Amino acid sequence: MKNFYRKVAFGLGPDEKVPSDPLIWATNQLNDIPEFSWKGKILPEKKLRTYYREWVYGDRKVLRKKYKNDKDAYKREKNKLRHATGQKFWWNLELCIRYSEALKSTSPVLAKLWYFWGNHFAISEKDFLAQYTTGAYQREIIRANMNQNFEKMAQEATIGWSMIHHLDNEQNIGPKSQEAQWAREKGKTKGVNENHARELLELHTVSPDCGYTQEDVIQMAYIMSGWRPKWGKKRLETGDVHFNPDAHEPGTKTVLGKKYKRGRKSLSVAITDLVNHPSCRKFIAMKLCRYLITDNPTEEMMQPIIKAWEKSDGFLPEVHKAAIEVAFNYSDKYNKFQNPENWLLQMSKMADVDLIPSPSFMDLYQLGNKPIKDQRSLERLMDELGQHPYLAKQPNGWSDISEDWMSPELLIRRLVYAREAYYKKSGKSQTTEFYEEMIEKNYDNSGEILKIIDQHRELVHKHVILFNLPETLKS
Amino acid sequence: MKISRRNFLKGSATTLFLAGFNFPVLANTDKKKNLVVIMLRGGMDGLCAVPIIGDKNFEKKRKDLILDETIKLNSDFALHPKLKNFHNLWQNNLGAIVHATNIPYTKRSHFDGQNLMETGGHTPYSIKTGWLGRGMKLAELKGDGLALALPMPLLLRGIPSNDNFYPSKKRLPRTELLQLLKSVYTDKSEHDLANMMEIIANRSMMNNGGTSMSRKNSSLAYKAGLELKKINGPRVAVFEVDGFDTHAAQGGVNGSHSDSLIEMDSIFKNLEKGLGSEIENTLVLTLTEFGRTIKQNGGRGTEHGYGSAIFMAGGLLKKSQVYTDWPGLKRKELFEGRDLNSTIDARSVYASAMSTVFDIDFKRIQKEVFWGDKLQNLSEKLFKS
Repeated sequence: MKNFYRKVAFGLGPDEKVPSDPLIWATNQLNDIPEFSWKGKILPEKKLRTYYREWVYGDRKVLRKKYKNDKDAYKREKNKLRHATGQKFWWNLELCIRYSEALKSTSPVLAKLWYFWGNHFAISEKDFLAQYTTGAYQREIIRANMNQNFEKMAQEATIGWSMIHHLDNEQNIGPKSQEAQWAREKGKTKGVNENHARELLELHTVSPDCGYTQEDVIQMAYIMSGWRPKWGKKRLETGDVHFNPDAHEPGTKTVLGKKYKRGRKSLSVAITDLVNHPSCRKFIAMKLCRYLITDNPTEEMMQPIIKAWEKSDGFLPEVHKAAIEVAFNYSDKYNKFQNPENWLLQMSKMADVDLIPSPSFMDLYQLGNKPIKDQRSLERLMDELGQHPYLAKQPNGWSDISEDWMSPELLIRRLVYAREAYYKKSGKSQTTEFYEEMIEKNYDNSGEILKIIDQHRELVHKHVILFNLPETLKS
Repeated sequence: MKISRRNFLKGSATTLFLAGFNFPVLANTDKKKNLVVIMLRGGMDGLCAVPIIGDKNFEKKRKDLILDETIKLNSDFALHPKLKNFHNLWQNNLGAIVHATNIPYTKRSHFDGQNLMETGGHTPYSIKTGWLGRGMKLAELKGDGLALALPMPLLLRGIPSNDNFYPSKKRLPRTELLQLLKSVYTDKSEHDLANMMEIIANRSMMNNGGTSMSRKNSSLAYKAGLELKKINGPRVAVFEVDGFDTHAAQGGVNGSHSDSLIEMDSIFKNLEKGLGSEIENTLVLTLTEFGRTIKQNGGRGTEHGYGSAIFMAGGLLKKSQVYTDWPGLKRKELFEGRDLNSTIDARSVYASAMSTVFDIDFKRIQKEVFWGDKLQNLSEKLFKS
């Protein structure tokens, strides 16, 4: 049963009491969205986007032209611009904010689910989005909607600047729209870009299980045509997302048998229909079970989550509580192989690893400078572990399938970074008594575990073994 | 354009049919042969990499993406000008291309498509092993696979104990600790973990004098070449190149599609460098989920399409040639009126390659790796026995 604390959160830290009722402890964390635990600076997405704009405009429109004949000068100036816009700093700050929720907040269960949703509506590696805006998108659009209906999260994520840009919807122009007409008059062609429409169906809502066709994808793309950042000579693609009727495909569209009139409202009406499709709740229930419980969820696991969804109209706190309860009921039977990020956070929480740089230290950063090495520790560490949360390779985010995380190199990373982490612990947690207490608190078979780790004398080795035991790798 | 619809590949299917009556005579098995697969993720544009010469439909549909100064391969096809290393191989009869080919997947989703290119199946996510892993299992090549990536690709799954190499910047813990973990994994029946720990404890590539190594594909390819060259080294290696999904700003010679092609080209070069003369006993193949639309889109990019091309390299090739059953680019010749068609099931090429490199009868591979699907035996056409 104790693996429940690791399954739905990151285990119990040294200062945390063992809850008298684990299920109530967990579900009580899901009603509200508390303030961030991070006490340092937190910048709004809009502000970070202006830094992204300065970077894109400065590089594309100024430096490339100014230094077109001098490769070295170009490189030098480009580096200056990186630092002038905080390119190497912001995403480290975002990771501090992200991980504080797991390690320092009173709602680690909410944090674990935040990571789930951020990965569901993933912004994968594209341009320099991760360095500037992805973290803020995760805060303002994903986390902020975790006490709302799924529909609201889906609506906001779909027309969020990050998602629209990430999935190329600014390139999606109705072939019969006014803009396509103008382009034809100039001898150019402009047309539909299906990318975002396809992912909205496939990854974000109904999934291929609902049986949509290529024609449904194209029709969905027509509905989405015209949604894009407000273009400007200086702001380029970084303007706020708006609906531009000139790029919108005229006429009625049909997706999954339903008809949608032309115009601005059609996208939100279509999203409402998608999130209410039975395939959508089934898909999300399956993904939640897969994330928390097992690679191959059963119908019985999914049913209570689907029911909670139907009863509450997709109200996320209710959906989450149902998922956590299912995880609780199955916690003795199933162990889920933890992805590198969740594994690291587990280790940091239980063993009291000083993972996150302090707010005051991070706030020392001044724009224009290269951040110092320790201010960039999280970015580097996540990259090394093979899972920087904001650099998923594809729009389907990081995998929740155990096998995808099983390889010699990935296991090597856990061995070497378990050791690195040990040296980031305070002296008071580097004692045998600390480990005995922590293991007792977090593992059902503490006696057996102590016996295994006692085969090595040095504490650092005990630490490395503990965090690479099957009991820890799989929670 | 001089090319007409060719049917020589159909001819080889007849040969196969006849050959099927006899018990196959397999090549001598005393030399170690290697198979390398480079996965090109995002949808490689076969028409950008290997453009057709003098086709008006093509030139009209992507006028902003036409390349200058391509390298002429024959009267019908040219090569992307940045693929210099591949061209070198071509000139030495160590490079060939299969064109207008793809896995039998037409729905244009990256995730489904990449899943199928690795499993070789028909329904996304229904198969949990890769065609290469299954082929290796048939050939009993346990512990002979090497992935040059941090996660283990699905393509290699189906046989345990594969290795991967993507150098860590820190040193491993002491051997006793690794051995203890291995025995705990074994005691707890965690066989996958135990297998991996065995590989870690024995690995030789880690020892690099304490200096951290580059993880660029070019550098990994050199290292992989050295490993494949060893008589006891791996016999299969898998690379991944990302970034082929160029919906926007695909560009011409210096565009974003070129960047990914150049990365692929650097793998050819450095594999050859590492392999030395063992390039003669090696076959390198590319694999992608689909090609791209012929027509450029509004953002000077291309959309997800269907037919693409396979690059092949190494001394196990018969000769330098573009193999194709060219379907044409007129509207009615296109798949769904928009994409280059696929006239050769790419899996025929992969099955034939495994038959050649693993010395296994094609029919067995067809039956046990690809569920008896209708595939052509191209081994004799494309590869040396």
